[in-house]
Amino acid sequence: MFLKRQMPVIIAISVGLFILFGHFINIAPVQQFVNNDATQWFDIIASFAIFLGALNMLKLQVLKVVKKQRNWQYSILAIVGFAFAIFAGFFFRGANYITLSDIDPNNVNQLVEYISTVQEVKDTALMVKGIESSLASYEIPKIFISKSSAEDFAILVSGLAKNVTLGVKPWGAHVQIEGSLFSWMFFKIFTPLSSTMFALLAFFVASASYRAFRIRNFEATLLLVAGIILMIGRVPIGEFIPWWVVSTLIVFGIGALIAPMIPDKKILFGLIVTGIVLSSVLGIIFDWSLAINTPGILSIPNISEWIFDYPTAAGSRAIMIGIALGIIATSFRIILGIERPF
Amino acid sequence: MNNKLLAISGIASIIILIYWGTFGLWFVTGNAPAFVGVIIVSSTIFYYIDAAKSGKEIYLRPISGLKAIEEAVGRATEMGKSVLFVPGISDMDQVDTVAGINILSHVAEITAKYETDLNVPTCRAIVMESAREACRESYLRAGRPDLYYDDMVHYISDDQFAYAAGVNGIMIREKPAACFYQGKFYAESLLLAETGNSIGAIQIAGTGSASQIPFFVTACDYTLIGEEFFAASAYLSNKPELIGSIKGQDIVKFMVMLLMTSVFVLDTVRQMGLFDFNILTFLGLS
Repeated sequence: MFLKRQMPVIIAISVGLFILFGHFINIAPVQQFVNNDATQWFDIIASFAIFLGALNMLKLQVLKVVKKQRNWQYSILAIVGFAFAIFAGFFFRGANYITLSDIDPNNVNQLVEYISTVQEVKDTALMVKGIESSLASYEIPKIFISKSSAEDFAILVSGLAKNVTLGVKPWGAHVQIEGSLFSWMFFKIFTPLSSTMFALLAFFVASASYRAFRIRNFEATLLLVAGIILMIGRVPIGEFIPWWVVSTLIVFGIGALIAPMIPDKKILFGLIVTGIVLSSVLGIIFDWSLAINTPGILSIPNISEWIFDYPTAAGSRAIMIGIALGIIATSFRIILGIERPF
Repeated sequence: MNNKLLAISGIASIIILIYWGTFGLWFVTGNAPAFVGVIIVSSTIFYYIDAAKSGKEIYLRPISGLKAIEEAVGRATEMGKSVLFVPGISDMDQVDTVAGINILSHVAEITAKYETDLNVPTCRAIVMESAREACRESYLRAGRPDLYYDDMVHYISDDQFAYAAGVNGIMIREKPAACFYQGKFYAESLLLAETGNSIGAIQIAGTGSASQIPFFVTACDYTLIGEEFFAASAYLSNKPELIGSIKGQDIVKFMVMLLMTSVFVLDTVRQMGLFDFNILTFLGLS
């Protein structure tokens, strides 16, 4: 019971306090532990824990297939994908390469031609230069997944050099080198699938924005107006909106704000028209059409920048301060063992 | 001023004095404001925890997102559907994840009481183990250990979008009636919340990722913003020592506000040439 209940609490409290105060203590081994060892310990534990996760995932999917639970067909795909990744990572390197020794200088162009049949050559002249500078030993810049395809290509180029050697990239390197089975799986299956998920965000942002911008109350209207100004201010067209359009919009905005206070609509209309005329006259007198004379408030990019720099920054910093204090309080509760999520 | 407050202030002052006296010898240089900050914040929170333990009444304002947790689980129970809890995509080294697991234990207790299915897909194996432990304890506390099974908390993938795809698939297939997003989130926040919205689930989110809060506010029914998220477990537990820490946190926030105002006033006065003391240099900010 002690090992299960009290021991984790003791470890959490002592390590927590040690790491917290370790930041301030001027002893090299303590600093070493806080800055390097502790994080490495975590990485090691997390690396071992991945087995638990992988096994759990596999177990659930296999059970689903065996018991023929609802939508069990999808689980077959998950199991096959899992097995394929394990195979490509641990059991099959799929990273064969060919090295040519003592290449005949007269065959360089022919070699480039052969290479271009299996690998896209962007700059032929550069490749020719590269081969000419390493005639003694040249590794063909193409990784062959299967040994037989490498052998076929080796037979094709065997007449161009004295020696043709076949090799396989070492374990570990095969997961990073471009052209191997693992990298094929990563770039041709995993990356497009991830990108597809990420791309969905564009549609979700559109639907979320539609809901957020629906005018329901004063706050939603404010959000809509600020959002539109920010969007227009960040695109080139924002710079071309003339001052009189912005001044008219500002007058309309003020009119919308004071409208509930003025019951007589004729007076309201008169005030708005007066505002528009007044701002137009001022613009003509002070020549606001010249960019240098235009007040900042009549330029959409300026308003957009102001919204971003002041109200948005102030709001987000207030949230950040709250989050920071919340993190401190939660950490304090955990370090003192008052709150135990474990 | 009571004796406990005096004692805590005295101890904090002695620690700060020792720090000052042995600066550069026992303690690293350049961290003075952080050290003083840690001591002041810790002492304040400790004092309020102690005060709450000794029976002092502490008022917490109602947080609608937390009040809605039971309502959401109740809705799922009435509809005969499951509850989905997503603890974010970060590991246990992030306080957000720890706070998320704390909230999970409360949600699990309610699902145990209501005999509702709980589904917790995780992105990290360590989080899976912690979440299992939290759920097991909660089911035990609720007096329903028979309803608990390990696989209610399961692992999907360490990869951000693979995890998002997996969770979205669960949502689309199982159509849970309530979705909780409590933890650290990045770009997948909107993918999850919008999918949850499309299936008509009641959604309650909470995160310390400031950049994801707008997405959750837009797509979820309730969002715990900033410190509300970190205060949630204390609020839900109703334990005096945890509630005391929330009060301490608020007092620290008030101190921060005072400090910001003082810095603003003192720096303005200095810039006007009326004063020769640079508060920013003193605090190590310039």
